[in-house]
Amino acid sequence: MKIPSELLEKFDLALRLGNTDEAESLAKEMLGKGIEPLALVQEALVPTLTDVGQKFQNFEIYLPELMMAGEAAERVTTLLEETMLKAGKPSVSFGTIVLGQVEGDIHDIGRNIVSILLKSHGFKVIDLGRDVAASAFLESAQKEKADIVGLSALMTTALPAQRRTIHLFEEVGVRGQFKLIIGGGATNQGWADEIGADGYAPDAASAVDLCKMLMDLPSHN
Amino acid sequence: MQTNRLSEIVNRSENGPFMKEVAFDMALARKVTDLVKKHAIKFDPEVLVPHDDDMADRLYQAGLELFIEMGVYNQSTERRILFTRQEVDTTVGAAPNAVVLGCGKDAVIERHRDVESAIPCRMHSGPTGTPCSERLHPLILQACAQEPLVDCLGAGSVATFQGRLIVPGSPTEILASRKEASIAREAIRRAGRSGMHIEDVAVPLTCAGKIATIDPQSGLRPSDGLLVSQMPELKTNYDQLSRVAYMQSFGMHIVDLMTPLIGGLGGGAEGTAIVTVASHILGVLCYSGSYHFMGHMNLQWSHNTDRMGLWIQSMAGQALARNTPLISVNDLYTRSGLGTPEVLWEVAAGAIVGAVSGLNQHGVGATCGTKTDHTSGIEARFQAQVAHAALGLTRQQANEVVLECLPHYEHTLVNPNPGKSFPELYNTETLEPGQEWLEIYDKVCQELTQMGLNIDGGWRKVRHDENTF
Repeated sequence: MKIPSELLEKFDLALRLGNTDEAESLAKEMLGKGIEPLALVQEALVPTLTDVGQKFQNFEIYLPELMMAGEAAERVTTLLEETMLKAGKPSVSFGTIVLGQVEGDIHDIGRNIVSILLKSHGFKVIDLGRDVAASAFLESAQKEKADIVGLSALMTTALPAQRRTIHLFEEVGVRGQFKLIIGGGATNQGWADEIGADGYAPDAASAVDLCKMLMDLPSHN
Repeated sequence: MQTNRLSEIVNRSENGPFMKEVAFDMALARKVTDLVKKHAIKFDPEVLVPHDDDMADRLYQAGLELFIEMGVYNQSTERRILFTRQEVDTTVGAAPNAVVLGCGKDAVIERHRDVESAIPCRMHSGPTGTPCSERLHPLILQACAQEPLVDCLGAGSVATFQGRLIVPGSPTEILASRKEASIAREAIRRAGRSGMHIEDVAVPLTCAGKIATIDPQSGLRPSDGLLVSQMPELKTNYDQLSRVAYMQSFGMHIVDLMTPLIGGLGGGAEGTAIVTVASHILGVLCYSGSYHFMGHMNLQWSHNTDRMGLWIQSMAGQALARNTPLISVNDLYTRSGLGTPEVLWEVAAGAIVGAVSGLNQHGVGATCGTKTDHTSGIEARFQAQVAHAALGLTRQQANEVVLECLPHYEHTLVNPNPGKSFPELYNTETLEPGQEWLEIYDKVCQELTQMGLNIDGGWRKVRHDENTF
């Protein structure tokens, strides 16, 4: 069933304005009309959030607007996940990504933006926060059955921890189970190659494209 | 409040209102949006050096309200440290308006500067936010310290110790921190300025690493300083506060570093200016900073020489200059790199804005600090020359000159020229800039002179001014 354009427009506006309650209420209304959760994600959630992400990338809107839209989208995604679970259907998520700032690095903002954009594009994100030990990445990746693990490092002094984390996955023999990617101001493709990462993203939008590529999903570009 | 507030700050950190960090971020973003509207703060991309005293005062009030409403978020305890209006007013009012930096014949006084002040700006130099290689770091520091117009040196950072990456929190962080502090001490000695103020050693990420740089014989002294950082926006933690405790206990200069993000939680230019004012208040209340580095930067590219960055520098500078005794220092980060005319035009615009907006000068973080060894002394010389030449300009005149600078670099901000590294532009034996870099520098100086700035004579006048010491 196609989503009525009037509902689609209202839902789009609610997401853009970060009206969390209204976005959730509209999502319920759409589900009530028989719209499939996956269709709601692909036809309503992802197009709006992709546009919001692009506007943020172009500096047409700023972090508060991105965060508010992300917050509203997260509420809707939770609702859809619960609906799918009750119906015994598979998750609406395109993949699970464990994300964190490697040990010794206390910066947040860049990783937060990556997290919001990934969620906006339908990924389930487990954000471990800052100063994350290598063993915590491993534990979370195994517990969440992650597809991708993202290691962020803003400072050059955090680079050894990035390498150490990848080494740990190799040492315990689970390296092949996960795609390990890196990002953050101190990193580049050369460093990714040196430490054996599966990918490097120079900015938040590229991180989304990289994850889509690793999950064999079409890029938004 | 008492002059040593740390015990009370820890008490409030432990017992203040609990809040998840993401909730604090959202609340701050919403509050800033409200304050922009309430105080009618308006960014005009054609007026980068506004001459609206009333808006400057409103901006200060907005920053003050933000600080009092939100308090400071302590990431260690996930609690807010709250202060009353009276505590803020009295503590900010009692903050130093002049400090002696360095010692002996090389000591200088850095002062609070008013809007359109006649007091010359102090010039802080060094590899601003730019990593250096171990091999070139001593040469780069000396190249900065030997510049006659440079007053203070930042020791910058290296990524390795004896060829291996430094591991924070490990012995290599301590060893590297001590080594780089001694290299900074040696650099100013070789430059013939052994008492020059060293403002920071940026290698360590931890309190232990910072403390390891202190060594009156071969490292940092009480007449030097170390950075204590704020996390964006309005956040601290116990590691940063512990640095304050140690430095305050023996009278070392505490340097307050803030990096409000343009496009971040404060939103656009207006909101980020409000956050910048509030961050200065944090630096007084929580850190007792001797002086404050106004390091706002673009969220995407980490520079502050675009229109929004320049406007924030001017407005926040004026708001603080008119309403507080604080000593604030700009912190220029450019998109372009060394050996390009664009980097100098970016510096010129930033230096002029700072000079007439109540700030002292710090630079230059060329390539936004992304390219190793892309840093030298000549850009600091240039920044000081432009700042000195801008003394006496009104804000309206400064705005006209800044608008003339923009066409020389604004189109390159998206795809900047990273330029060349220190050894490509300097003679690494004599530590003199090479012909290529000098010719570019001379050409931009000439063009600025034609625009009406007394680039050569301005600093000569400053050096003979009674206020210079």
